[in-house]
Amino acid sequence: MSQQQPLIHYHIRWRPSGHQPGAGHGIVPGAGDQLRSVVPLRDHPDPRRLDLRTSVRDPFKNIWVRDFYLNSALKVIVLVDTSASMGYIGYVNRFQVAKEVASQLALSAYRSGDAFGVYLAGEKMNKERMLPPKANRSAWLWLQQHFMNIKREGEHAGGLFDVVAYLPQNPCLVFIVSDFRWPEGKLKSLLKKLSHHDVVPVMLQDPTEIDKQPKRGIAILNDAETGKKQFVWMRPSLQQQMAAMRAKHVKSVREACNVLGARPFIVRGEFKTASLTEYFMGANI
Amino acid sequence: MNALHFFKPDLLWLLPLCLLPLLSYGVKQFSYAGLEDWPKDRVSELLRWGVRIIAVLALASLVIASAAPFTEGGTISRIGKGAEIVIVLDRSGSMSESLEEQDPVERARGKMKISRIGAAREVLLKLMDQRPGDTFGVVVFNASPIAVAPLSADRELARAALKSAEANSSGFTAINRALEMGLDYFDDRPYTATRLILLVSDGDTKIKPEDEKILKQRFKDTQAQLMWIYVHTGYDFSLEYEEDISKEEGAVDPNVALNSLFRSMGMPYQAFEVNSESGLQRAVTEIGKATNKPTRYEYRLPRQDYAVYCYLLSMILLGILFWLKRIEIKAWRK
Repeated sequence: MSQQQPLIHYHIRWRPSGHQPGAGHGIVPGAGDQLRSVVPLRDHPDPRRLDLRTSVRDPFKNIWVRDFYLNSALKVIVLVDTSASMGYIGYVNRFQVAKEVASQLALSAYRSGDAFGVYLAGEKMNKERMLPPKANRSAWLWLQQHFMNIKREGEHAGGLFDVVAYLPQNPCLVFIVSDFRWPEGKLKSLLKKLSHHDVVPVMLQDPTEIDKQPKRGIAILNDAETGKKQFVWMRPSLQQQMAAMRAKHVKSVREACNVLGARPFIVRGEFKTASLTEYFMGANI
Repeated sequence: MNALHFFKPDLLWLLPLCLLPLLSYGVKQFSYAGLEDWPKDRVSELLRWGVRIIAVLALASLVIASAAPFTEGGTISRIGKGAEIVIVLDRSGSMSESLEEQDPVERARGKMKISRIGAAREVLLKLMDQRPGDTFGVVVFNASPIAVAPLSADRELARAALKSAEANSSGFTAINRALEMGLDYFDDRPYTATRLILLVSDGDTKIKPEDEKILKQRFKDTQAQLMWIYVHTGYDFSLEYEEDISKEEGAVDPNVALNSLFRSMGMPYQAFEVNSESGLQRAVTEIGKATNKPTRYEYRLPRQDYAVYCYLLSMILLGILFWLKRIEIKAWRK
């Protein structure tokens, strides 16, 4: 069980449709806090919403009631990359961080009355362990119990393309949790396929990949995905090259996202829910 | 160049073990998320092979060193100067008689002329002084031989041995055993100089046929030559009378017999008949001439041992490996 973190207040810039009550401002009439229109009582026979001012002003002595937009539920969907590179353990266990992201989102979605779904994919989509988006009280617990048992294997995350077909047709809020060590162009084409959704790429990084690398010494690095071995003699010049490479990687991910109007959320080390909330408030650009 | 030999060649079967480092890197491995954008680093690539090659070489040189490689030193021809001279000095009773003819009356009065042994001693001491490059050993004998001074550079010892040699009658002269003891001195010594047994004796003894055989073999083994300084007074037979004596008397004088025996034994041999002090000195000069000839001899060089260099090499290589192990990254983090 992870420690209690504040809820994530995600936010979308569009109105979700659907008749499931939730926290977002919807587009269908119903119980809500935003005035939609004023309608005759006979059209909407709810005397509690009686609009006195409009009724008094009406020369025809009709009785008017207010009609509101329904506060609709949103569908929050998390896509998790389960390729072998997600099993990397540096300062933090990368998959543990992915679990934290997914479970905190599950908790926050439930508290907001939103539907929550999880899809996992490595080289192939994991059909045994998927959670279709429903208002699911136990999604959080399900993730706590099963997430770490998922095998991190496969050389790429191509299975995520198969997941697209399983997603709802109407727009959802989609999080892609991955380290995005993908071939050039892969992220862009995935984002293209998800373009009618609101996509948040959650990029997981570890300080040992960027600036917390050992300064000097020799070692062998074992690529988790391809099994390739690399003899390295770490020294400041190589470390600088490494850091430059990682910065370039982040830049390429940002550029791929910018084209399709998304903004990557970068997690360095531990995941903090507050920083994701900040991201939705527009501070993290 | 000489061929390379191994003292323990069986250990070379361990050489395939040297390939072990090629199976694994021997460096700590870390799982890493992705190496697809790892910068190409030529130095690391070189070091990757370098580490394994160094490990292979270190093991190989250790195995080879433990098999103890060496080359035979071979032999070189050298020219030795000087001589190794073993003085075999007779101190039997007869040696105390005077060297030159003396009137028995005067002798009874106690007016002794110099004795044979005394004259021999003085001349031998002079010989030692004249020949500083030689090595001397001393054996004295009457009834049995005594090894007085070993063949060594310690001249004072040989000198003292000669000075202390006094004639003493014990009725029997063990010349063959004395010669054998003198020859024993040459055992276990490299043959680097002329070997000379300088027998100073007045003879009067016999060598049995079985002893003769042994002596002959010993002279052959040690490659020594024999010089006999036959100290005698005018009364005694000259060694050259051999023919006549044997014909007329039917019995052979023991000294003549001894002379012919030595001559027949095959080693270089010279006899000097000396019946005066000056004669003795002449003999010594002759000896000097005979032994001054340079000796050509084969010198066996010690074999060359290469294990030390192999160990040194493996020490250096292991040192490098040790250093590499020290700079190895223990945990992939700062």
